[in-house]
Parts: sequence; C-alpha cells; structure tokens
Amino acid sequence: MLYIHQASCISPQQTFAAVEIDQLREAVNNKLQVIEPSYDGIPSGILRRMGKAIRIGVGTALPLIKENNTSIDGIIIGTANGGMEDCIKFLNQIIDYNEGLLTPTNFVQSTTNAVAAQIGLLSANKSYNTTHVHRGLAFENALLDAGMLLKENAVANYLVGGVDEISAYNYNIEFLDGWYKKEPIAAADLYISHTIASIAGEGAAMFFVNNDNTNATAKVTGLQFLHTEDEQLVAEQLNLFLEKYLPAGEKIDLLLSGENGDSRLIKYYNACENVLNKQVPVARFKHMTGEYPTSSAAALWLACFILKGQWMPQHMLKYTLVPSNFNRVLIHNSYKGQQHSFMMVEKAVV
Amino acid sequence: MSRIFVTGMGSISAIGNSVTENHKALLKGKCGIGPLEMFPTRYASLLPFGEIKLTNTFLQEKLQAHEPELTRTTLLALHAFEEAIADAQLSPQLLKSFDTALIGATTVGGMCLTDELYRDANKTENGSAYLSSYDCASVNMYLQKRYGINGIINTINTACSSSANAILYGARLIKNGWAERAIVGGVDSLAKFTINGFNSLHILSPDICTPFDEQRKGLNLGEAAAFLVLEKEEAVAGKRCYAELTGYCNTNDAFHASSLSEEGDGPYLSMKGALDMAGILPEAVSFINAHGTGTENNDLSESRAMMRLFGNVPAFASTKSNTGHTLGAAGAIEAVYSILNLAHQEVYASLNFKQPIEATGLQPVQSYTKMPLEHVMSNSFGFGGNCASLIFSALNEIKSKK
Amino acid sequence: METVQLKQQLKKQIVEFLNLINVKPEDIKDDEPLFGTGLGLDSIDSIELIVLLSREYGITIQDPKEGRKILVDINTMADYIEKNRTK
Repeated sequence: MLYIHQASCISPQQTFAAVEIDQLREAVNNKLQVIEPSYDGIPSGILRRMGKAIRIGVGTALPLIKENNTSIDGIIIGTANGGMEDCIKFLNQIIDYNEGLLTPTNFVQSTTNAVAAQIGLLSANKSYNTTHVHRGLAFENALLDAGMLLKENAVANYLVGGVDEISAYNYNIEFLDGWYKKEPIAAADLYISHTIASIAGEGAAMFFVNNDNTNATAKVTGLQFLHTEDEQLVAEQLNLFLEKYLPAGEKIDLLLSGENGDSRLIKYYNACENVLNKQVPVARFKHMTGEYPTSSAAALWLACFILKGQWMPQHMLKYTLVPSNFNRVLIHNSYKGQQHSFMMVEKAVV
Repeated sequence: MSRIFVTGMGSISAIGNSVTENHKALLKGKCGIGPLEMFPTRYASLLPFGEIKLTNTFLQEKLQAHEPELTRTTLLALHAFEEAIADAQLSPQLLKSFDTALIGATTVGGMCLTDELYRDANKTENGSAYLSSYDCASVNMYLQKRYGINGIINTINTACSSSANAILYGARLIKNGWAERAIVGGVDSLAKFTINGFNSLHILSPDICTPFDEQRKGLNLGEAAAFLVLEKEEAVAGKRCYAELTGYCNTNDAFHASSLSEEGDGPYLSMKGALDMAGILPEAVSFINAHGTGTENNDLSESRAMMRLFGNVPAFASTKSNTGHTLGAAGAIEAVYSILNLAHQEVYASLNFKQPIEATGLQPVQSYTKMPLEHVMSNSFGFGGNCASLIFSALNEIKSKK
Repeated sequence: METVQLKQQLKKQIVEFLNLINVKPEDIKDDEPLFGTGLGLDSIDSIELIVLLSREYGITIQDPKEGRKILVDINTMADYIEKNRTK
C-alpha cells in the first residue's frame, strides 16, 4: 500500500527529536499531555496564533518538510476535533460578549482543516490538501487516502498524519460522557483497573510516504476498518483481513493493541487476541499515549520505531510471550466500541 | 479505472425541500435569503440568511427521527440522504453491503448547539443529551447506525470545499476498488459559531449578496444538505443516470488562512487539474457553477483565476445568490445544481448582479437560458486555501477521452 | 491617565491581546509602524485591535479599513484613545 520513509511524533512520551521511550512518563490528573518542543522552525508571528493541536501538528510535520520539501505532492491529515481549545475559546467569547464584537483568531484557528492548511502555508505547498475528521477512523481514512493517491500517482510523495489535543473543555465533555475515569489512576496501572473508561491523551504523528522501497523504514501492507458494536463481527473482519493481507506460511510477530483500560471495551481486544489463538505476543500503547481519536497514528509511529530498531520497551508487553523478531506488526484499535481498525505494518525489505 | 455515474440525488435548502423543489425555484430565480424566522441569534434582524423554514420538530416527525441526541445538522442530512437513496433505488440490503461507502462533510457538525456546547464544556455533572453529537463525525455515525452501513465511512472537513472533497473521495474509493457505490455529500445548519465567526472577519453582507458585482459587500450564510449516489459504469446498466463525474481536482492556495491569493493560484490549479483529468480543453467547458460567495476577496480572485485559465471565460453563475453560502453543503448542493444544468440543458440566473467588477469586466448569466451543455464545472474554494473543482458531463455527449 | 502611562498600558495590552511571543512591551517604540514593517502585524491583527479598543476603551470603529488609518503606531493609537475613549 505504501512505504514509510520518515516518521515523526510529538506525544506524552519522549518521542520527538531524541527518542527515549523506555522510561514511562506518567499521567497527571488522568491526562497524558504532550511534551512540546521549542518550535524553532515556526516563525513567531505565526506561532503566536496557533493552538496546541496546530502547534503539535505543524511541529511534527516540520522535520519531514525540511527533509523533503520540494517533493511533497500532498498533505493529508486526520483529526477528529481540530483546534478544540480555540473552538471553545471562540464559543466562550460568543456567550461572554453576547455575540458582540469578537476576535477572529480563535475561529480561524479552530477549524479542523487548520492543521493541514498551516502545513501547506508554511511549506508553500499548493498541491492536494485535505482533512479527514471521522472520529476514531480519521487517521485511517487519511492513510487510505494516501494509499489511493499513491496508486493514482506512482512516483509521488505524500505527508500523512493524525493529530488531536486535549483541551480543558473537550476533556470535560468526554468526562461527562463517561469516557475518562472518575477515579485517579496512574498510566502504569491503566490495564489492571477493571473500571469503565480510560485516561485522556493527545498527540501528533506524521509520515513521509511513497511507493519506493529503497531505504524505507517500514511498509503498510494492509488496512481495514469497520463500524459495529458486535465483537463477533470485529473478529470475523480480522479473519478476513488476515486472509487478505497475511501471506500463507507467514506469521505476525507482534499484535500492537489499542486496549485502553476501559472494562466495556476489553471484549473487542479479547476477540482479536482469540483470532490469533494467543500465539502472537501482544503489546499495548495507550498507557503511553492516552486515549484519543487519532491515537492509531501514534501506534503506527511506534510500529515503525519497533521495526526499525528491532526493539521495544518492556512496559509495552502484555504477556510473558516475547517476540522472537520484529518483521510484521498488526495494529488493532477499537475506538469507543464503535469504530475498529486493523493495520499491517512490515519491515521494508529491499 | 471505472467511469463514475450519478444515479441518485437528494437536497434540501432555503429554496426547496427536495431536488424537484430546488429545480423549480432555480427556474423561477427564487431567492431563499432573507430575515431569520426561527434561529435565535442577535443577528436575526440585522443580517440576511438562507434559512430552511422547517423546524426541528417538524423534521423529527417527518423523518421519524426522535433520538434525543440528534442535532439539526443530522436531521437535514438525513432528509437529503433519504431522498438520494430512494432516487437511486438502493435497497436496504445494498445499503448494508460491505461495498457501499458513505462519505459526508460538515463544518459545523453538532456545534449548531452553541449554547449547549458551552454549558457541557463548563459543567461538572449532568451533561446534556448531545455530549457525543458535537463533532463533525456525529452526522455520519448516526446515518451508519440507522441504516446499518457497513462499507467505508468517512467525514471530511475542509471548510467551504468539504462536500466537493467528499464527492471526489467517494469517486476514488470506487475507482480504486474500495467500494462499488458511494453515497457522497454534505450538510451544514445555521450556527452561532459560524455566524459569529464570519462576522468577526467582517465578511457577512448586511444585504442580500451580490456575487461578482462591483458593489458586493460580503456573503450570506445559509443551511442545506445534499447527497449524490455515485456508481461505477459496470453497475449502472438499466439504471437512470443523471450525469458522469469526469473530472476533479483538489489543490491548496497556500497564501493565507482566511483569504485567497490575488491571482487565485489555488482556484486556477484546481480548475486546471479537473480539466486535465477530464481530458478536455478549457473551451469545452459549457458552464461554470462558480464558488461566487459575494466577498470582495473571493469573487475577484476567482474571476482572475477563471480569466487566466479560460481566456474567454465560459458562461458562469453563482447559486449562492439563491441559497446563501451553505459551507459544508456547498460543494454537494452546487453539484446537484450543476447536474440539473446538464440534465435539462439549461442555466439559471445569477441573482442580484448589476455591475461587473471593474478590474475584470466579467458578467455572470443574468437570466434563465436554454443552451446546449456538454461539460459543467463546479468550484468550491475554502478557508485554509482548500480548493476543489468538479466536472460533470452530459451522458449522450461523451466523446472518447484522450 | 497620563499619556506616558497610557502608552505603556497600551503596549502591554497589545502584546497580551495579540499573544506576541518574544516581544516585550518596553521594546515597542512609540513611533514604530505597527503594520507592514516594524511590528509586522497583519489584517487579522487590525480586526483584533479594533476589538481591543472596544473592550478596553469603549471605542467603536465600524470599518477595518478606517481602523488602519488610526492603527499606525503607538503614538497615533494613544492620541485617538485620549480623544475618543468612553471608558
């Protein structure tokens, strides 16, 4: 489907610039908030207007643009909420000033396409530019879009990524809706909690992709997603996915699971582990990223990191079964028990 | 790759609650923009809007959609969606098929409920029924649940070009083998969020908008929903087809977050890209449904881009003078109007035009005209420089492509 | 309020309102152009400054284009505020 050459990630863990993910950075007040870099590449006149989602989206893209600017043929972003903080700030203005004289920056920066637009602006890129916003499948649709673009344009290169932020306000809405735990919890204890809901997360991950396998870090060989609340259907779809994308006689080295400590959702993850007959080592990532709609982008970054370095931190492993090598990773994510996705990511063999 | 045909349409706007009603209104040159009668905002008596004169209660009753979490945005989408799938005669089984895709678009989503969102964002307990309805995805998530849609589902938000991008994404899913058919479109309802947002940028007109006029003062916001059903050539034997989607292109102006470059680079590139894909020369375009919002910036930049590309600019008009700027629905409803142009071989008046822009001298079509139309282009240019152009072609006029 | 004090206050308000990172209020010269060169503000900033004048000083400017004639530098802004403030 596509080859990943560079990947960049700003997350609650040390994943940007000097990567160090062996030490788990903890949640504070049930929120895993990103470590923001210094954004040297963003002019201060532009940076001053950016809310967090745009800062981390653009900040993650910048290194990839710097390396490849003249050859990016499209920018495809997945984000469920865009600049939520700016959105609510503008709403607060509407209420506080009773629809009177309002400042426009919050409005302009809150639109979900602002991340892709700013990346396009900063790189003076006039080519394909789009934003997918379908909640827990926003990033998957962005990746599918990039895959189709590469089929349509054999020698093109694309920047594809996913980003979402926690703002005080959207945290509140998700909390009221029962998606974040009421009781205080450490990220390290997420999976042993046995209560409903998860912890809030945020992050941005970007990828430079094309059809060329020369010196590629990894390749995405399979992608599938569906809407259902039935875990049997999810398991059936995984079987179909494996039939389609796992060559006969080949094996999966690691299942990278989006399990998130929500007791209501464990059935989806159990169903998929059962399809693999518990033969495949399982790793989890949401104690590192927290739960948010486009966390699968961070999962893809982690998969690339693991495939490249042939190593992963101990704290990610679910069982005692340890991978013997890292050639093929299956990512499974189930968002709010309604949207499910599978991605097959493999080491790019030249 | 497969050719893509439009086999069904549904629409609701300030000028009609169905495709037929919209068509009748366009024939008469009806303007649906005026004072607000239902929507509560400080600007109700100060600014004109393209309001759909149906209450939420009426829509809930008509559509048998009483779930407490439904927003007006979702209700309008449901209205147009039902019309489109009935028009294309898609059975319930086909809707549930794994190869039926649903691609929608909205910029507002559930944020039409500004006051509720404000309360929920600031409360500590007892959230409203709308907690999961505020985002853009909530519209399609409801349609998925109601109809049991199992194929690829997506929501796109690229501001004013959103539903044009939904249409081209659906077409590409079919061409690349990810779907056999796609229901594509968009919706937006009036919201304090967008009313105040655009007003803060000083681009709302205090009068009914006058696209491409020298004295234009800005845009009027409107609400609408429209869906098209796209099917591949191999599947349409025996079906009634309206038109073929022969070209599309998405580009970025990369100039400023909320205005277009003077020379309209993004629009120029998206129009050119659509022509290249359709394999036709500029002079083959019979008519353009322009973005034409009525703002100083858009209409001038768009005019310049058209002049650069076409030299001799074809007949063009903006239907935003009938419906207002419907944001996330604009690309889709204007696609419906472009297809009506082709199906009936006619073009409708661009309303309220008096005087051409001095710098360009361009004049849109000013009265209803029957004329031969082979290829119609529909343009949508949005915030963030997101530009999209679509080309629809008449069925019995298709020449073989290069 | 003394003119000097007003100018100091105005600089502080501009920096905060427009979120001018890396700019200290005391670094803004009284006659430094706000737009184009100098501080380098743009059209969105001119709209924002009109809102600032309304909220802090009760001054209404209807047209952003008219606003640009007033928003030349700190001197002209302070002068206009002194003559027109209602707060």
